[in-house]
Amino acid sequence: MVAAAGLLLCGFLAAHLLGNLLMFAGGGAFNAYAEALEHNPLLPLAEIGLVALFVLHIILSVRATVINRAARPEGYRVYRGKGARTPGSRTMALTGTLILVFIVVHVATFKFDLGGLKGPDLYGHVLGWFANPWYAAFYVLAVGGVGLHLSHGAQSAIQTFGVSHPRYTPLLKTAGLGFAFLIFLGFASLPVYFGFVQKRQACCTGGAHS
Amino acid sequence: MNITLKVWRQKNADAPGALVEYNVAGVVPEMSFLEMLDALNERLVAEGQDPVAFDSDCREGICGMCDLVIDGQAHGPDKEATTCQLHMRRYRDGDVVTVEPFRAKAFPIVKDLCVDRSAFDRVQAAGGFVSINTGNAVDGNAILIPHDEAEKAMDAAACIGCGACVAACPNASAMLFVAAKVSQYALLPQGRPEREKRVLAMREAMDQEGFGHCTNEYECEAACPKGIKVSNIARLNREYLRAALTSD
Amino acid sequence: MKLESKVPSGPIEKSWDKHRFDLKLVNPANKRKFKVLVVGTGLAGSSAAASCAELGYQVESFCIQDSPRRAHSIAAQGGINAAKNYPNDGDSVWRLFYDTIKGGDFRAREANVYRLAQVSNAIIDQCVAQGVPFAREYGGTLSNRSFGGAQVSRTFYARGQTGQQLLLGAYSALMRQVGAGAVKLHARSEMLDLVVVDGAARGVITRDLVTGRIERHWGDAVLLCTGGYGNVFYLSTNAGACNVTATWRAHKRGAAFANPCYTQIHPTCVPVAGDHQSKLTLMSESLRNDGRVWVPKKKGDARKPQDIPEDERDYYLERKYPAFGNLVPRDIASRAAKQMADDGRGVGKTGLSVYLDFKDAIARIGLDKVKEKYGNLFDMYRHITDENPYEQPMRIYPAVHYTMGGLWVDYNLMTTIPGLFCLGEANFSDHGANRLGASALMQGLADGYFVLPYTLGGYLAGAKLPKVTADHAAFAQAENDVVMRTRALLGTGGKKAPAAFHRDLGRVMWDNVGMGRNAKGLREALSKIPEIRDAFWKGVSVVGDAADFNQTLERAGRVADFLEFGELLAKDALAREESCGGHFREEHQTPDGEAKRDDEKFAHVAAWEYNGEGKEPTRHVEPLTFDNVHIAQRNYA
Repeated sequence: MVAAAGLLLCGFLAAHLLGNLLMFAGGGAFNAYAEALEHNPLLPLAEIGLVALFVLHIILSVRATVINRAARPEGYRVYRGKGARTPGSRTMALTGTLILVFIVVHVATFKFDLGGLKGPDLYGHVLGWFANPWYAAFYVLAVGGVGLHLSHGAQSAIQTFGVSHPRYTPLLKTAGLGFAFLIFLGFASLPVYFGFVQKRQACCTGGAHS
Repeated sequence: MNITLKVWRQKNADAPGALVEYNVAGVVPEMSFLEMLDALNERLVAEGQDPVAFDSDCREGICGMCDLVIDGQAHGPDKEATTCQLHMRRYRDGDVVTVEPFRAKAFPIVKDLCVDRSAFDRVQAAGGFVSINTGNAVDGNAILIPHDEAEKAMDAAACIGCGACVAACPNASAMLFVAAKVSQYALLPQGRPEREKRVLAMREAMDQEGFGHCTNEYECEAACPKGIKVSNIARLNREYLRAALTSD
Repeated sequence: MKLESKVPSGPIEKSWDKHRFDLKLVNPANKRKFKVLVVGTGLAGSSAAASCAELGYQVESFCIQDSPRRAHSIAAQGGINAAKNYPNDGDSVWRLFYDTIKGGDFRAREANVYRLAQVSNAIIDQCVAQGVPFAREYGGTLSNRSFGGAQVSRTFYARGQTGQQLLLGAYSALMRQVGAGAVKLHARSEMLDLVVVDGAARGVITRDLVTGRIERHWGDAVLLCTGGYGNVFYLSTNAGACNVTATWRAHKRGAAFANPCYTQIHPTCVPVAGDHQSKLTLMSESLRNDGRVWVPKKKGDARKPQDIPEDERDYYLERKYPAFGNLVPRDIASRAAKQMADDGRGVGKTGLSVYLDFKDAIARIGLDKVKEKYGNLFDMYRHITDENPYEQPMRIYPAVHYTMGGLWVDYNLMTTIPGLFCLGEANFSDHGANRLGASALMQGLADGYFVLPYTLGGYLAGAKLPKVTADHAAFAQAENDVVMRTRALLGTGGKKAPAAFHRDLGRVMWDNVGMGRNAKGLREALSKIPEIRDAFWKGVSVVGDAADFNQTLERAGRVADFLEFGELLAKDALAREESCGGHFREEHQTPDGEAKRDDEKFAHVAAWEYNGEGKEPTRHVEPLTFDNVHIAQRNYA
């Protein structure tokens, strides 16, 4: 169930990223997309579904973590393992928590406009937030967490669904890893570009973008 | 060689435990790790001190009785080897080695380094068998089994039930052990009539014994002295999904 | 004491069928009224416990390890024989029977061996049905390989882990019954005495090894499936926990001990590396299918094996026994290796090993095929020796492996104590003076799956057993004996670990009662063993408490019994003035150094009766007759 919810959330992430990447096409395209999305009558339904998926994924993960901690009440004084764990698998709880915090902030700022920065258009609104270097850095860190989380989560879901083939499974797992990296790259590109690169260009050319 | 050991001592399941330091002199490279512990114990007994309790039996890597975590690694540093197959040529003079028991709620400590792994027996009793009474069998060649299927079943059947998978798993999960058994029977025609019932019963028994959940860390595979692959866990998951979707 | 073999009369092919028909049956509804205690969970114990429970008896099963799956049958590597004749190479029940009798050097009971060959096929079928993953051909049929002492391919195998797979099969059958509530399992529980009431076995006294609690268990029959006594030699291929205690205590309660001097020295073991050694590791005999045994022709040749040219190597088994070559029976191969070492042509640091070379096999069938067949054995060897057998020959040397002697049993597998049955390696019945490879697994499972379930019913249906429970005086007496003995072990105030005494005993046994025995050496052993025993009871150090998990105490109890039993073994070896199978008396050999039997005087089973502490045991004799095979000097040349 954790894996199923996780996989569906991956689908959402991919769609979300594609939408966001429209920012590179300029404010018009992005705003039009946002407009269309906001006026889609199915949006509330999708939002409810999304929240449900998150809640399910989180509750089940927390439950599993509690059970797993209880399965070894007294820990090892020295624990080294034999090198099978990855940075992603070691930090699932940590990255999961980070993602949760980020989502709260993210939804609060971009959807409910906490901080009252909502400008005339969403494009400008986003750029406004990215202009804050702390926010942009946090954004990058968080999507880094997403990537790390997925680096374990994607291949883990494949295993949990019982996919096992001597030739295709390794390919599939590599693809999962690639997906995690792309998600990170895609999301991180936005604040990096709009928050730092473009801003620097703007200041150097003396342009007034605000 | 001189080796310094930090050994977990614990009188019984309820008593508190601690690492106690011992020096073992005169260790030679040909000695196995357990023979070094034998030497320590022989000295302790001669001195009238309580020897270190640890389990071992066949000392050739097949019975699955030996079960130490050595410097944080189940069965020690070697790949695909049991503790009894670890030799002191792995170590250098002056090394400090920490020795702990397999730790899991489902494997309560009996004394020092000995744990109670009867949870595995109970999981096996829940469904790790083919229900065939003595005398009911047809001729061994009546059901043909492709060579590769038999080999795959044998790969899974090679499990020695030592519990290193549990010891090494960050979640103390027994998935690899259960997966090996479920896989062996799922791969053989003889096991198929009961496949749904078996996988559901064994997984339930596993959860009841207090093992953790599998989060696909694969430390079990890395620690397994018999090289049981995590692809068996994928097969177990498949069998489980299949059973959960089809059984009424 | 009277030894009645109860072998049915008539033609041997019919005797088991006839006997099964003659055995009384227990009504299905009555079976649950009988309780059967099964001690040991190896192939014999697990299969018997499971089969009896399937029939409806109440069964209690005891094992000293933490799980029944760890019994030492698990370590058997090579395979299991059956007369299936799948390879179409001329095998038959009769040939398996004949090979086993001949391999045992004509010192086994014909009818028992014939029955063993008869049920061998059903064992394979049963194991396949349990999901034992035997090796298969590409067409899906079962694979066979050849093994020592036979010229047909009749050995079924699961890589080099056949014992493991068969045991796990029997274990799964046992656990199925445990899960169903038909078997009550007592793990980490050691039998320390037998309880005899009105001349019949009615229970056991056990020690719970975790809590130290002494427990009484009553039953209507007791099955000892407790394996062999090879650890009397200290170093053997047996597991650490293998011991003689259960059978020895039964012996002291009246069960005759048969042919204790028949011990098998296995030719292909990893050589001893030093004093620290706790056990010897067997390399399956199946290696001799493809490996060639040799030593340098020159004495003390210190060159690396790779540097010794072909014509300076002595492939001595192929030279001496051209018909069987490297596949001669174990006793012959072992003795030949000893002769080479005695002759100064042994190899390795100690000079106590010979080469087993796979160079030719790798050239002939390829590295991959060799890996597939023997990979796990090669790995095991590399782990122990740090030498790579793919590149240089293995070094091997004989080691104590199996014991053909054991409690005397009749055709029903019942000892001289009514209601006390003995199965598997623990009994003496089927292998005579030498066991052929891949026959131990066959016998253990034959006894447990296909013999005992019938004969047990015959006994229970016919015996008039009064109701006995654990509060009977005999239980109190036996428990008291156990408690007193434990107290004695804890109270010597000595300074030497039990293991050290065990090592002392083992040295005497190996030097004087080992591969080559003579009257002088045996007499020396008979004077030394009691000395070690006295020293033990005066100076053994057992730390800790009786009411606790105490591995030193466990070991001490087992060593104490070995110290008594070793003496009987040496006595039996001294009394048997002939060479046969694994028993080689140097006074009795042919001019070219082969074992020389004395069929006139020794074609019999020697069964020893215990007469009490410090008294000479009585040697009883069960004559062996050979009506179906022609008794002849074994010849493998």
